[in-house]
This record gives sequence, C-alpha cells and structure tokens, in this order.
Amino acid sequence: MPYLTDLEASGIPTVLIDLSEETNKVKHDARLYGVPAMRFVEASRTMDGVQDVDRILGQVVDALVRPLSDEEKKSGVWEPKEPRILFEGTLEEAEEFYQQTENIPGILNAPFARYTDGLPIVIPTEERVERMLKGTSHKPDEVIRLQRDIDMRGIGEVNPGFKRKKGEIVRFMPMGRSATVEQVAVNAVMAGCKPEYFPLVLAIAESGGGTGDGRGNGGAYVVSGPIYREIGMNVSYGRFSPGNPPNKTIGRVGSLMWRNLGGYKERVSTIMTYGDPITNGGFIFAEYAEGLPPGWKGLNEELGFRKDESVLMTVRPMGWGLGQEHMPGVYRSLQKSGHGAIARFLGVKGKPGPHNYIDYITDGIWRTYEGGITMVLVPSMAMDMYAYGFKSKEAIYEYIWKKSFEPLGTYRMRGRPDWFTNGWTSIEKTSGKRWRELPDDYMVPAGGESPWEDCIIVCDGEETASERFSGGHGAAYSIDVWR
Amino acid sequence: MAEKKYECLNPTGTQDPVDLLPLAPRLKSLDGKTIHMSICGEPDITIPLEKRLKGDYPNVNWTVKKTYGIAPRELTPEEMKTTDGVILGVCW
Repeated sequence: MPYLTDLEASGIPTVLIDLSEETNKVKHDARLYGVPAMRFVEASRTMDGVQDVDRILGQVVDALVRPLSDEEKKSGVWEPKEPRILFEGTLEEAEEFYQQTENIPGILNAPFARYTDGLPIVIPTEERVERMLKGTSHKPDEVIRLQRDIDMRGIGEVNPGFKRKKGEIVRFMPMGRSATVEQVAVNAVMAGCKPEYFPLVLAIAESGGGTGDGRGNGGAYVVSGPIYREIGMNVSYGRFSPGNPPNKTIGRVGSLMWRNLGGYKERVSTIMTYGDPITNGGFIFAEYAEGLPPGWKGLNEELGFRKDESVLMTVRPMGWGLGQEHMPGVYRSLQKSGHGAIARFLGVKGKPGPHNYIDYITDGIWRTYEGGITMVLVPSMAMDMYAYGFKSKEAIYEYIWKKSFEPLGTYRMRGRPDWFTNGWTSIEKTSGKRWRELPDDYMVPAGGESPWEDCIIVCDGEETASERFSGGHGAAYSIDVWR
Repeated sequence: MAEKKYECLNPTGTQDPVDLLPLAPRLKSLDGKTIHMSICGEPDITIPLEKRLKGDYPNVNWTVKKTYGIAPRELTPEEMKTTDGVILGVCW
C-alpha cells in the first residue's frame, strides 16, 4: 500500500484489484497509508478467472478514467488520540471494561476482545504499572527502538532477508504503531508478568512484540542465558505444560502486544487466515545450557553473544512434531542395547550405541515440508549425538541439511517453491543458476537455504523424548540491555 | 465504605499522525497512454486480465511487472515519469 500511496502522490492514478473479503483491510490500509479514497475493484476467490475478468474489466478501466468526486479530492490529517488513563473505577468495573468485546461481521459476528487476548487480564492500575517499571532502568517514556543491528532471515527472492539498524523505532504491526516502555509495561501487567520478567518482555517488544508483518500471532520465543534461572523459567519436565508463571505469562504477552500495541483486529486491520494453534496462548521456553555436551555452544554463543549474556531468539514453530514418532523407551533401547524400532530402522540390531538418532528422526520430514528443523534434546540425547561423532551443533546442522537434498524434478512438485522462487525465475543458491535452467536431476536442498535453518536446543530432563518443530535460528535480541 | 477507585492505563500503542492525500487526477481516456500492470499473485485472474486488457485496448502502451510474491515489483523513478496509470493486483 505505501507503493500505491507514492504513485497517487506522484500524480499517477491507480486501481487496486483485491479479493472481496479483503476489502475491509484495503480500506483500513488505504487510510493508514494516507490515501483513504483509494479506488479498488473486488475480484472473486471462486469464480472462473476468465468470467471474473469479464465481470471486473469495465470497473478496472472506469477506476482510472472516472472523474474524482469531491470526497476523493479531499486532503487532511488522520490523528487518532489515545488517552494515557483509559479507565477509572473499581477493580470489578475495570474487569468488565477491559474484557469488553465487539462483534466483527467478517468473522460471522463472533465477539472479538477490544483490549485482551480473550482471556481475563490483570487490571493495569497506575500502581501496578509503576511496579512493573521497576524491573528496568529504562525510562517509562522511552520509545522502543532496536538496541543493535539485526539480520532478518528471509526466504527466496520474493521475501528476501534484510538488515535493520540499531536505533530504528520498532513498529508494531499491523497498524505500524510505536510504543513506550510504559505502554509495554501495561501489557506486561495485563499478561500477569512480574517486574523481574520485564527485561525479557522488553526484548520481546524490541523484536516486534510478536506482531510480525501484522500476522504475527503473538510470536514464539526461545530464551538463552542465565535469566532463565533468575526468574524461574521451567526448562525441565513440564516446560510446555501449565503451571510455570514466567513461561505462561511471558509467553502470553506477545498476543497482548499484537492486539494492543499493533492493533490486530481480524478481518479489519489484518487478514490472518486461520491463526496458529501452536502459538495461540503463548510460546516461550528456555535453554538449559548446563546440559550441553563439551564443545557444543549455547544458543547465545551461536547467535554471537557471550555465554553469560541473556538473549531472546524469535522462532516460527509453524510445524510441530516434525519427524518420526517414537516412545521414549525405544530411544533408550536403541542406545543401550541396539534393540527396538529405531535400531531396526538403522540396521544396528543387537549393537549398543551410540547410534545416529538424527538419521531416524529426520527420515521423511521433507516429504510434505520445506525448511529446517528445530530439535529440543535432553542432555543424555545430546551426549549420545556427541559420542556418535557430532562434536558441535554445526556438524549436525550440516548433516541434516545435506540429508534434505532431492532431485529438482521432485522439488518442483512442492507447493511453496512456486512462490519463493518467484515462479522458478530466481537464482538457485547452490548452483548460482536460475531455477528454470537446471535439469530435473540436479540436487537441491528441501531443508532450506543453509544449515542455519536447523537448530538444536538442550533442555533438562532424563526422559528420552525430543520435541521437533520448524523454525531454525531466528533473529536475536539482548535481554540484558533492557535490565 | 465506598470501594476504592483506580486509574487504569491504556495498553494501546501510539499511532503517528497520517497526512491524508487526495487521489491523483484521473485520465480522460486510456488511448495513447502508458498503463502499467503490476501483477502479484492470483494468476487465474491476472493472466486473463492481461490478455483482455491488451486485446480490448490496443491503443494503450501496456507495461507489465510480475511477481509471485505479495509485494509488487515497483516502478523505478524513471519509469514513473513515463507511466500514466497503474493497475495493481491482487496483493498490495
């Protein structure tokens, strides 16, 4: 939309063709980017394309030649004001106020929360917010900005990676709003966070608060470094279960930032499709670096920080449970005595370990999926991989990535590459040639553009189960700078 | 005793003011003009659209940029100088 604004501002008339259910979003973005009277034509998601074009062709041309109405000639300023004090009353009245909903036609008039994620919240009284602010040395009126240069990972030519510069104001999407430390504190109180969690919450805010490009779902986060111990994050049994206040409340705060700082409103400011069941309700966990095998780096060191620094990494766990399933005992049987299903799969029946679990768990994962894999291993499983011969995490990343190669003829049958290769017109990275110029038997990685798309995180526990999801290494943010 | 009243803070982010612009003046007709098609997504619509426009409006100088992505491939400042109108779809 900023591009259309530039064109109209340059005197070039435009018309946008959207899909009919996107019209609210078009109107919303048109105002947000300064051309509220933007002309658009609604195409159909379901009608045959030729018939649909027959239907809209006249409208498209008309939008370029029909003289402007008085309304379309208007200029002005859109300057929405939000009061700092939103509500005054008893706690009971405040609960009712903050939990109000509105019915949105685009979601069949289902209620949608005005200020919350749909759950009850802790009322952000002045006193509670003040207490939250004691969790940081940063001033309440400081605007959230990037504290360091950040490399954002992309995918292919249509969504390339890019660099963000230290000092840049963080924009919370979809509305592109900014936020102060105090506004973040309000959301942290509402989520139920304690002041000692606040530096981590501010790092989440620096990362964009889980708002993404407006479809962020509240985000997903991994924490590395000593802060997990200081604030009591559960890195052990039950780390993905209810019961641990920091994991639950900090995980939740991204959803509130998306709703409140970013202005997410489904089918109005955002078209989200159907959401993300993995991150809905919050997704955060921390690394247990004490369990790493010798020579394996902690996530903070992998991301360019010191091992005593606390770091937040954003991830996108859109696929959960990647890889073969197994009972934890089957893994133990593999390594202890070479028995059970995994031993049969690997052809090591009767031979004690260490055996290469990676070969088993990654078998077939790229059949319906492209990209890297993130694995959460308990210390004994990581130690088994070390003993097998993987003396660094990087060695496993390289190994997994190389396993993902397949003939281009097979790769072409996949759904997403049509998009991120820009119709196969862009450059394939391993060859430096255009995708279309490569023969069908040329081997390409289904596991993403580089081994960096894989990631291993060690958490505590003795039960030999692993969690696996998509995402790999994401952008990293210092938590310590927000202390 | 009356229940205590609290001042409660606003969780909403700060919206910068936006200058609202009028639309650019429209064309009298497409004849003889350079109209640019900025195509992103939905080939089932954009392929027949391009064919129909070029067939039904032969006196237009049509220019086209395409991407499978959701962000349009933008005109350069030089190209903007010689472009009279833009049709963009289906993403923005």
